[in-house]
Amino acid sequence: MSIIAGHDGLADPAAPYVEERRGLLWLCEREIVRFLKLWMQTLVAPVVSSLLFIIVFGLALGDRIAGIGGIPYKQFIVPGLVVQAVLTAAFSNNASTVMQARMDRFINDVLSSPLRWWEVNIGLAIGGLVRGLLTGLILLVVAVVLTGVGVAQPLVLVTATVLVLIAFAQAGVITGIYANSWDAMAFITQLVILPLSFLGGTFYSISRLPDAWQAVSHANPIFYLVQAYRIGFLGHGDVPAWVALLVLAGLAAGMSAWAAWLFRTGHRLKP
Amino acid sequence: MRERRHGLAQLGPSLQRGEVTTGPIPLYMRSSPAAAYSVRGSARRARAAAVAPLAVTVPDTVPASGGVRRPLALAVRSFTKTYADGFTAVEDLDLEVPDGAFLGLLGPNGAGKTTLIGAVCNLVRPTAGRIEVFGHRHDTREARRLVGLAEQDINLDRFLNVDEVLVYHAGFFGMGRARARRRAAELMDVFDLSAKAKVRPGALSGGMRRRLLFARALMHEPRLLILDEPTAGVDVELRAELWEYTRRLHGGGTTVLLTTHYLEEAEALCEEIALIRGGRIIARDSAAGLRAKYGAADIAEVYLRAMSEAALSGEVAA
Repeated sequence: MSIIAGHDGLADPAAPYVEERRGLLWLCEREIVRFLKLWMQTLVAPVVSSLLFIIVFGLALGDRIAGIGGIPYKQFIVPGLVVQAVLTAAFSNNASTVMQARMDRFINDVLSSPLRWWEVNIGLAIGGLVRGLLTGLILLVVAVVLTGVGVAQPLVLVTATVLVLIAFAQAGVITGIYANSWDAMAFITQLVILPLSFLGGTFYSISRLPDAWQAVSHANPIFYLVQAYRIGFLGHGDVPAWVALLVLAGLAAGMSAWAAWLFRTGHRLKP
Repeated sequence: MRERRHGLAQLGPSLQRGEVTTGPIPLYMRSSPAAAYSVRGSARRARAAAVAPLAVTVPDTVPASGGVRRPLALAVRSFTKTYADGFTAVEDLDLEVPDGAFLGLLGPNGAGKTTLIGAVCNLVRPTAGRIEVFGHRHDTREARRLVGLAEQDINLDRFLNVDEVLVYHAGFFGMGRARARRRAAELMDVFDLSAKAKVRPGALSGGMRRRLLFARALMHEPRLLILDEPTAGVDVELRAELWEYTRRLHGGGTTVLLTTHYLEEAEALCEEIALIRGGRIIARDSAAGLRAKYGAADIAEVYLRAMSEAALSGEVAA
């Protein structure tokens, strides 16, 4: 037997580091492969969950609920449910993946490699980003078929989707870096994101709320996500499109900056 | 002087005649006589080293044949690590490992071995000091691609199968797909994992997981291989296999840094042994040199004496 097959030609330490294929592409591929292996849990389950809301509240009860602003209720709730599914998929995928990688310490395989800090950040974020996108696309197709909802402003919808995916994919990575238990993860998803989503106007227009509650709703970042999607799908919302997109852009930039700082400094990743 | 794989006959007549000991010897060779063995089959290189002027500071390069100086595989200078809770795991540590050497790092739990290894592998942020791998700062891409690490813990991605664990690891080190697959197949063959290529780590036996860790560390053909207690918790048979793999790697030119709690393992494998306690290197020599220094019958006795002496001096200093 040879020394260790193929190990005879050790690299010249003085030679520059050249990649045959970018390590970043490999990391992106690994993160996508991981969630695709669990497609039932990562894609089918969230789509079914959102569909149940559309079927129960939109199709079964929708006829008994008056339309909002002239829009049938079954169509009115679609944007909020789609964005909720997209952000939850992007967030939970990355939060659980990164936390698992830290707990099981296989993140060391990446941190000790020649990958640059920003490549690690992008690579670990991409899984949630793609999962969120696929979830949104599947849900969009099914919702169009079931409710007949259209896309009034595609550019707003695409821009909002990109910003939501960036913001929550990065938020997931950040949470995965800070969380030390599944309880902490559940706290964020079940007691922060989910309530904010429901209070963000998914099922109602805030114009129907008292003034004080309207003001409170404006402090909820997810409200702007729902509004951006509602403008994208239905053509109008409770705030102008540029306001919703500006808040989304700020959220995406803030989360990206926070994640970048964590990877650049190694804070909580490297003792 | 006790010889194992590198018998004196392999080192050339001039070295056998003791010529390398006639001139001033660089500090790295004085502190580590066995390092001369890593000057593989090159008495000329050994002579070049022998006539080099005595360095006041430790050189960062090793004289190579033809007078060309090549960098040390690992050069750690004044490395200190104090964790966030204020615990100083390693303090002002200097360590150098010449290219091609096989160094064992022995010490009790909490001595700083894993902290040192973590820092070398860019997994621990040094509080102070400088670490270089083959002349490159340890956190550069050029350094990273030269280091392979098999950690003490079984840290495998539970969602990937054996083949994927290996291929993706190679990918992180910039390998193309075809070469990564070929290399993974080779290593699965060498480590008897081919039949388990599509099996996830959770379904592997403990021994197979340990072999997979070993194979993963070798995927990118590292020039410096760091093994952090690679045989912890493995049976005698697998331990013997891993020893054999390690010997073959070293024979092929790989520099090996091994930490272990098994004294006989260090003695059997390593050209040199460094004893570490309280974040400091307290002794470093060949096994024979250590036995002579401490007047001990075996390395276990050396270990106990060195540690008790260090503990005593620590108490006196305190």
